[in-house]
Amino acid sequence: MIPFRNIKPRYFTRSLLNGIEKSNHLIRVLNLCSYSNIPSYSDSGNEIDKDISQEKLSGFAKAFEKQSQILENPEEEKSYTFASLLRNSKLMDLGDPVGKTVIGKIFHVVEDDLYIDFGWKFHCVCTRPNLRGEEYVRGTRVRIQINDLELSSRFLGSSTDLTLLEADCKLLGIISTPTKPAVSVN
Amino acid sequence: MILSNTGCRYTKYGFSLLRYTSTSPQVIPENVIDVQQNQKNPLDYPDYFGVHNLFTVKDLFDARVHYGHKIGSLNDNMRSYIYGSRLGHLIFDLDTTAEHLRKALNFTAHIAYRGGIICFFNRNSLNAHIVEKTAMECGEYAHTRFWRGGIFTNANQQFGAITRLPDLCIFLNTQNNILNQHTAVRDSAKMLIPTIGIVDSNCNPNLVSYPVPGNDDSPTAIELYCKLFKSAIIRGKEERRKFLQETE
Repeated sequence: MIPFRNIKPRYFTRSLLNGIEKSNHLIRVLNLCSYSNIPSYSDSGNEIDKDISQEKLSGFAKAFEKQSQILENPEEEKSYTFASLLRNSKLMDLGDPVGKTVIGKIFHVVEDDLYIDFGWKFHCVCTRPNLRGEEYVRGTRVRIQINDLELSSRFLGSSTDLTLLEADCKLLGIISTPTKPAVSVN
Repeated sequence: MILSNTGCRYTKYGFSLLRYTSTSPQVIPENVIDVQQNQKNPLDYPDYFGVHNLFTVKDLFDARVHYGHKIGSLNDNMRSYIYGSRLGHLIFDLDTTAEHLRKALNFTAHIAYRGGIICFFNRNSLNAHIVEKTAMECGEYAHTRFWRGGIFTNANQQFGAITRLPDLCIFLNTQNNILNQHTAVRDSAKMLIPTIGIVDSNCNPNLVSYPVPGNDDSPTAIELYCKLFKSAIIRGKEERRKFLQETE
């Protein structure tokens, strides 16, 4: 019944209602006509028995019981593979990171330098802008545009790259600040 | 019987009695033997402390353990731990990481069970405080500052007294700075101290006894490792406390 889980209960009820009513109707018709040479008659004998027991719980009642059982059953813990986790991760959604806009959160402030963490291995450091400068505090969510995910390059004469352990991003604007909390509806 | 116990040498002209050396086995009283046979030996089990249940691959994924550096700074010895590269950025294979991490945690728990001294190392100033706090919380030691040359190799002179060295060194970052490996990795190998090390894609895992390939730069990853090692150590110590209480 897994494919039906995503569908809202009332649609499920409606379709099942229609299906059961139709099947009940069909079998009653067959019974009345008593076509013994129809191969489905012997099957429908079983179905009639089933329907007799199910008739007590058919239509809405049956659907309601089924739905309540579905809600009561604990969700099976899906076992994730690393490959599937990676494939559905935000890193893959990003595509080519250069030029993409992401949301970050400031986790440290040193005077005019803002250390922003956006879910990558490294953080980025941006200077505090002049516009609304006092709103950039620890916990502020900001919009940043990625220039480079890791500032590393090969220098002449060395065998490996030299990393700065930082990402390089441009600060675009604020999304939310703790200094100005959102207006609550009373 | 007596002659063989005293370690005498049979020479050409009879025998000469050497200094008395006791070679007979020490007799253990029978009640202790029974207790030891009834008790379980943790070394008989593959995962006595249940450290395999401390984490899942999804936990590692959410803590950003699979992020590596760029291809340009890849150490050749780390190639087997890499899943692949995404537009130049390396991704660790978390299944391999999980396997290595389980072995490392199991080893940590056993060392803690045997009453060993464990020392945490991290030279990355961003995460140094987390590591020190973890060491304090589980009753072990941490060294996240400048490492003087002879701390392991010349300990008795450096500290002025007979020193007991750690029985396990856990490196949450095997690098000193970007260019050099931490001296304690090499020194632990010299002093026969087993090491566990979180090795990133730019690190050399050769001298580490239990390398754990993974991210060592993000604070979330370091916090996860600290939490896991702390749980493993606490479990080992708890078992030790129970064992000592039973034998009293």
